[in-house]
Amino acid sequence: MLEHIKKDWLSNIRGDVLAGIVVALALIPEAIAFSIIAGVDPKVGLYASFCIAVIIAFVGGRPGMISAATGAMALLMVTLVKDHGLEYLLAATLLTGVFQILAGFLKLGGLMRFVSRSVVTGFVNALAILIFMAQLPELTNVTWHVYAMTTIGLGIIYLFPYVPKIGKMIPSPLLCIVALTIAAMFLGLDIRTVGDMGDLPDTLPIFLWPDVPLNLNTLMIILPYSLGLAVVGLLESMMTATIVDDLTDTSSDKNKECKGQGIANIGAGLFGGMAGCAMIGQSIINVKSGGRGRLSAFVAGMVLIIMVVFLDDWVQQIPMAALVAVMIMVSIGTFSWSSIKDLRKHPMSSNIVMITTVIVVVATHNLAIGVLVGVLLATLFFSNKISRIMAVKSHYSEPENKRTYEVVGQVFFASAEQFINAFDFKEALENVVIDLTHAHFWDITAVTSLDKVVIKFRREGATVNIVGMNEATATVVDEFGIHNDPKEVKKMFGGH
Amino acid sequence: MTKIITCVDGSAMTTAVTNAAIWASNKLDKPILFLHTIEKEQQHGADNYSGAIGLGARSALLQELTELDEQRGKLALKLGKELLERVSKQAQDCVTQKVGSMQRHGELADAIVDIEDKTRLIVIGRSGMEHGDNYSALGSNIETLLRKASHPVMLIPETFTQPTSFMVAYDGRQTADNALQRVIDGGLLHGLHCHLVSVKNNETNLEEKFIAAQQKLKEKGFDLTASFVEGDIFDSLMDYKQKHKIDLIVMGAFGHSKLRQFFLGSNTLKMLERSKVPMVVLR
Repeated sequence: MLEHIKKDWLSNIRGDVLAGIVVALALIPEAIAFSIIAGVDPKVGLYASFCIAVIIAFVGGRPGMISAATGAMALLMVTLVKDHGLEYLLAATLLTGVFQILAGFLKLGGLMRFVSRSVVTGFVNALAILIFMAQLPELTNVTWHVYAMTTIGLGIIYLFPYVPKIGKMIPSPLLCIVALTIAAMFLGLDIRTVGDMGDLPDTLPIFLWPDVPLNLNTLMIILPYSLGLAVVGLLESMMTATIVDDLTDTSSDKNKECKGQGIANIGAGLFGGMAGCAMIGQSIINVKSGGRGRLSAFVAGMVLIIMVVFLDDWVQQIPMAALVAVMIMVSIGTFSWSSIKDLRKHPMSSNIVMITTVIVVVATHNLAIGVLVGVLLATLFFSNKISRIMAVKSHYSEPENKRTYEVVGQVFFASAEQFINAFDFKEALENVVIDLTHAHFWDITAVTSLDKVVIKFRREGATVNIVGMNEATATVVDEFGIHNDPKEVKKMFGGH
Repeated sequence: MTKIITCVDGSAMTTAVTNAAIWASNKLDKPILFLHTIEKEQQHGADNYSGAIGLGARSALLQELTELDEQRGKLALKLGKELLERVSKQAQDCVTQKVGSMQRHGELADAIVDIEDKTRLIVIGRSGMEHGDNYSALGSNIETLLRKASHPVMLIPETFTQPTSFMVAYDGRQTADNALQRVIDGGLLHGLHCHLVSVKNNETNLEEKFIAAQQKLKEKGFDLTASFVEGDIFDSLMDYKQKHKIDLIVMGAFGHSKLRQFFLGSNTLKMLERSKVPMVVLR
């Protein structure tokens, strides 16, 4: 255990500390921007980012992953904040945490396997688009100065890393913010700044129980929001954890991460922060900057709160244009570029799932609904494909006036009709043999359709004989488990 | 058949470890399996603190990290193969039993647990590659290995000469009796001069048990010197070891419960750290 702690925290001190600082500098504009999306003061997002990053460093299941206030979550709380106010948001955040801890204990992290690659890509792309769209209000009905500033900001972010030597030592988003702030102050431009968007933290966060009446009415208000937040938070966290797993070629404890996210959200809710989850963009930045251990998330949270509390006079002066530039970068970095390139390579069904997920999310602003639709669609496509793995052959034997039908493949709700249509009831036969030895009946629909076939033949005056019924229906029972037994798998594909 | 699992990593101790394995193999009449594990070095990023992520950032980063791992992995595989060939050849000429080798990715302790049922004895150098010449430090893997292994572990210092005597500390506890039984049942230490040492402690009837233990060893034909000393456990044992030029120390492993492992294993650990002779840790 001690070794684990040592390995998770102290095996990469230099890399983790530097990466933590880089992440903190990128977290500050994000936390402010996401607070604005949710319609709360920037301090709510900043407190949340601090609490979540620090708590998850201790209780998370995926070292090297960064969690804080996120856009996906912020988008879900807009109406709650508008209709009921901040206190209800804090209460919803607490309840979200409880749900997530429950999910961890129920080991729901494993349900991620039903979320296909295409749905994940769709989720990520939709998230990138939503983050980008959330910047648009800052770019409409403004003077040309704002456009110029944003363009210069993006220029600094993307071009500065190419400067030899110092380019890779100084975080370019930080440079963008500092340069644009100084320029705006120096030129005395009358453009919107962070200070105009609401309160910034002037103290460390303090413990506060949300000021809401503890009754059923409150619960009914926050329940739907909490459920959505819990689901989206876990989805994004699990996806990000998989991305970090892939990047670092290490494994993570997904159920511990579920519980960790819950604890972190409860912590955020009690210290005046909004709900959050893992962040794809920030986690990539962290890994890219050399962060691998728990220490980087901890450092990120600590640096963030120290900078914000002690430099709040300066943070107020940051022009919104600089934040918009950073957020556009996050949106671009989050977007899965390869998914566009691969559109032509991938099967149409996968593309439809991915694009539908994106469209549903962008239309509803709710990632949970998008993922649900994506998963359902992917399942439909899959069962359709499997239903095609079914064939009925037959041969006729003259002397007995008998036809033997041999069924091979998967018979279930999606292929049942095809199964029935494969029989020729109009043929005048005395004897019919249906050989099911190489068929699999997966559900009640399949069994019922077989009954139908038998009855129809009998009504035409034929005697029906069924062979191999037991083998075929072994798959109907729910406990049917072939799992990883190679023998059982062979049975599946090579007959019985 | 169970084997002598011999862990090599190409450090300065490799020769000593190989020699010890040869000795154990002949003594126990068991084949040797050389085990080399490739532990993935944690990548510490590409020293890029720009914090900017552009289009395709994720796939670009994944590719970059994969390439780095690939290069390192290929090199480690090659070096490990060469090492295994070298030690196998060296051992081949000296033992009657077969010599095999095996290469695994991941942590050493995990690899050892995976081949648990094929194990008779684990032979390993007391410090690995990363320690260089600083032999007083216990290898980072050793402690984990000792906690996880379910078979006796023989720890080898920088040089190995065939031992002629060994020391067993006896404290009257059940674990000490178990350890003695293992010594008697095993074949590794038969024919060596045995020093049974007891340090006075608050265990009841220690002296009687001590005498019974002596009796038991003698009956099994061990050439025995028994001593009853007083004072600090660790210091007395080290003194005794110095005075009698002990070649090998036999120890029971840490206590059984997790808690005891943390708080009572300290004498065992201290012995492991300070001793300059081969040690057999019994599970």
